[in-house]
Amino acid sequence: MNQFKSIFIAIAMTGVSFSAAAIAQDNNATLTLNFTGIAEQQGSVMGVLVDSEDAYNDKAAPVRMIMIKADKAEIATQLAGLKPGRYAIKSFHDIDGDGAMGTNPYGMPIEPFAFSNNAVGNMGPAKWVDASFEIKAGDNSHSIEIK
Amino acid sequence: MTNLDRRQFLGSSLIVGAAVITPDMALAGATPPGWALGVADVEADIPRETLTLIQGKVPAELSTTLFRNGPAKFRRGNSASGHWFDGDGLVRRWKVQDGKATLAARFVDTPKRRLETKLNAIVQPGFGSPRRDGAVINGPDDTNAANTSVLVNGGQLYALWEGGSATMLDAATLETQGPKTFRRDLKQMPFSAHPRVDSDGTVWNFGGNGESTFIWKLNPNGSLAKAEMIALDRKSYFHDFTATARHLIFVLQPWVQEEFKFPLSTGMVWKPEMGTQVLVVDKDDFSKRRVFELPAFSFFHLADGWEEKDGTIRFDGCLEANPTFGQKSASALIRGEHIKAPTPMLTQIVLHSNGKAEMKATRIAAEFPSSDRRVAGRARRFTTHVTGYRSTPFPHAIAVWDWQKGRDYKHDFGSNQLVEEFLFVANGAAENDGWLIGTTLNLKSQKTELHLLNAAKLSDGPVATWQASLPLPLGFHGTVA
Repeated sequence: MNQFKSIFIAIAMTGVSFSAAAIAQDNNATLTLNFTGIAEQQGSVMGVLVDSEDAYNDKAAPVRMIMIKADKAEIATQLAGLKPGRYAIKSFHDIDGDGAMGTNPYGMPIEPFAFSNNAVGNMGPAKWVDASFEIKAGDNSHSIEIK
Repeated sequence: MTNLDRRQFLGSSLIVGAAVITPDMALAGATPPGWALGVADVEADIPRETLTLIQGKVPAELSTTLFRNGPAKFRRGNSASGHWFDGDGLVRRWKVQDGKATLAARFVDTPKRRLETKLNAIVQPGFGSPRRDGAVINGPDDTNAANTSVLVNGGQLYALWEGGSATMLDAATLETQGPKTFRRDLKQMPFSAHPRVDSDGTVWNFGGNGESTFIWKLNPNGSLAKAEMIALDRKSYFHDFTATARHLIFVLQPWVQEEFKFPLSTGMVWKPEMGTQVLVVDKDDFSKRRVFELPAFSFFHLADGWEEKDGTIRFDGCLEANPTFGQKSASALIRGEHIKAPTPMLTQIVLHSNGKAEMKATRIAAEFPSSDRRVAGRARRFTTHVTGYRSTPFPHAIAVWDWQKGRDYKHDFGSNQLVEEFLFVANGAAENDGWLIGTTLNLKSQKTELHLLNAAKLSDGPVATWQASLPLPLGFHGTVA
């Protein structure tokens, strides 16, 4: 059971170390990000957009932090000024609004979580290789089912 | 694939051919042996059927429902479960009313069963099963086999397993309603398969073992009364616990969890030099605890306990010299092999108020202990148990041990019958004044039978016996409602 402990807490922790990344002028990509399947319409969906495997594994800062009010079954946000490249998203639904991924007394996550590409983990978060996707210059969209 | 996984995987796939049982093979007495029908696969849910009364007379006033659970699907494609404890739970409802008996059975619709059906392979890890390619594990309930017992509390029927949530079932249709979350922050907390139910319907249970265990208290109406973690002094594995009116009792056998790995049982080591400890916790204040020391023994099942005026606590259990059954024999069963293990023996454990503990042997082989629920937590005279272990790995008789007279009253169903847990149904005011209801698997007729016996006249044999239209693999535990 301990294996499950704290694996997912890192998602919430990452927000703490986040510092606003400067938006360079030549960054011309925009991502419309949708979250679907929100069962309990309260709190917010929180997440991070990362642009490297290191950042995905919490060894570098994320590019953006995401926080969207979870008041509908489907919610969206737009992230502008991104540099084209490979990205991934780690997210969870902060239902109780405490800013952290809730866990049960044995450390198991109890709030819905999801990764880009709807990648599924196995006794831990999904891997960068499964969760990463390409953001091209111009308009992009990506949809994640959070459950 | 690690060496361990590889060995487990090869071991399992080699036997699959031999382990699929057809009635023809079993009738011919060929390999696998006839008893392997007890661990055969059921392919589909069983619609409600009226049973055939094959012997005796049904008491007109009897109206009872026996819910039972047990693993009933072990093999898919070229793969098999690595352990008897890891098959998919099939919940059976045996109902006796208006002189007639019916059976309906339905598999619990778990994430494990859905995934393995889709892959046509056994991939999810368990007590004795490895994690194989295709496994998806993002929480305890992904591996929940929902196969060990059932509970009715506050009108809700649950299928129980020991490592994950209780699963809600519709008592009328046996349809799966999903995992029960008693409180938002307790999602996926283990709710073991051996709750203790006070005579007023209050349910006590534990969840998980290792450095700590989680204690559950449910009100008779089904709501959550208390939920709290308590620390344990050693990382014992335990499948069952017991309770008196005032205390919860954890028997910490020296079968300890050295590491977390799959199959779970391979991370557990038998260390008899540690002896067995008994932890007694006050129901009203979990910080009030006492520890008693006993020589090493292993066990799966305990019976209800009680305390006497001078503070002496007594309870009984089916104790084994070591955990060979859980470690090896129960895995071998799925392969159609019988590995001899120490016989479980009915034993009373006495915890004296001076801190000393002792064991009182009965010299009776026993498993699946049960008793009159009306006296739960209070002094009691009788323990019902299966017995009659002979050449097969399974018991052939049902018995009631009388602690006052020190003797066993028994009905032996014979070598062709494999006997499952029997439970007490009251029919009078005194303890054990009523019926024992339970099932057997008849290897000769290849049918499962439902039996009703007079608890006080066990040696007379069944008052009534009904036959189902088909054989069901042996189940574990049930409840009467």
